[in-house]
Amino acid sequence: MSKPQPVLFQIGWNACINCGACVAICPQEAGFISPFDTIAVDRPCDIACLLCESICPVDTITHVLSQQSGSSEF
Amino acid sequence: MNPTPYDLVIIGSGPAGATVGRFAAEAGLSVLLVDKKQELGAPIQCSGAVSRHALEDVGLALDEEYILEPIYGFAIYDQVGNATKIDYRKLKADEYGDGPDRKPLGYVVDRRRFDRYCMTQAERAGVETWLKTEGLGYTPKADGRCDVHLRRFNEEITVNCKVLVGADGLMSQVGKWAGLQTHIKITELAGCLQFIVDKVETEGLLEIITGHEWAPGGYAWVFPKGHGYAEIGLGVIPTMTDKPARWHLDKFIKQSFFKERFKDSRILEIQGGGVPLAAPLRTQYADNLVLVGDAARHVNPITGGGIHTALSGGKIAAEFLIDHFASPNATDCSAAMMKGYQDNWLEELGDKMWKLYHTKTKVFHQEDIPTRDAYLYQTMSDYFDPNSEYKKV
Repeated sequence: MSKPQPVLFQIGWNACINCGACVAICPQEAGFISPFDTIAVDRPCDIACLLCESICPVDTITHVLSQQSGSSEF
Repeated sequence: MNPTPYDLVIIGSGPAGATVGRFAAEAGLSVLLVDKKQELGAPIQCSGAVSRHALEDVGLALDEEYILEPIYGFAIYDQVGNATKIDYRKLKADEYGDGPDRKPLGYVVDRRRFDRYCMTQAERAGVETWLKTEGLGYTPKADGRCDVHLRRFNEEITVNCKVLVGADGLMSQVGKWAGLQTHIKITELAGCLQFIVDKVETEGLLEIITGHEWAPGGYAWVFPKGHGYAEIGLGVIPTMTDKPARWHLDKFIKQSFFKERFKDSRILEIQGGGVPLAAPLRTQYADNLVLVGDAARHVNPITGGGIHTALSGGKIAAEFLIDHFASPNATDCSAAMMKGYQDNWLEELGDKMWKLYHTKTKVFHQEDIPTRDAYLYQTMSDYFDPNSEYKKV
């Protein structure tokens, strides 16, 4: 399998019910969280397993390919 | 700058964290309990069902402040609507009911009020409580204690303590800080959604609807919610469906054998969450650290129920820590010492939970859907049977 490309998650906040399932399933290290208790949306995810998208009860997480190759300013 | 040191700092004031705090403070330990929320229990991620003895076992009063409706039994449905009804008002009429000297089997509680109630009792026992305070990390120190780094209303504060208790729920970060293996498999986390509804009749029973057709990998439920309301929900395992929980819940309401019953329902509230149908964490401790409640995955893998296990596990953790601080090894809070908590927990609760996990795993390893459906219906019916060995979990 080829290495996944880093992705940037986008959350449709209108549908988000703040259930936390995306954070619960996320294999990232501690702190990959947004201020609204979802997975982080301000930095790329280099794992790109997309489990958060599949667990979301309201199907409101999508992603775009990240421009940078996994590096971040944070 | 640096406030007084504590015996315990507890991150997360749900049922588990507040119970650890209450028992610890009652025994004279100094405790700081923090929660990042402004309103405990919200947004609600739980159906709120809990047995009466779970509350009584940890000394919580059966208070109308948080109780929404008493429960007297269960109804387990297969996917076409055949039911096994287990109504304790009929099975043990001299013990269960709403008459004098009769008691409910359990309750559906309002998690906002229940969590606040648990924190209030902890606070009254002497726990210091800080809301709007999130945990940022922790550092074990050479002197055997640890520093816990917090942010309270945007101010960064470091607090020193003997042991940090991670009670920060399913989204737990505390376990990750210590490098514990906390990851949940996608096959073992149910994506759940529920609606609080008006105009759906209930009869004091927790109704559980099995079947791949309605809730692949999980089950659907209809619970009484007090004031004439009900909650309708379900959980699905993402690898067993390509649709989100919301799609399945819509289908369950509109197409299931309950569609007539649900046809006038009106949605009053929308709630959701992840429910681990998983094994407990294999390691629930580290240097100066123990995990409790959902953070330790103390959730019943058959029912997804986690309030009872959070309360009981919280009490076990508190009792262990109280004893430890009174022992000759009191200054040693290394992982080797904290393991004692997990040993106690396994003996009192955990071994049973592991057994339930294996039972549940066997069901979902059935590839053939009709076989699996029949197996799940039977397993659920057996689990809630009055003679089940598991009625205490």
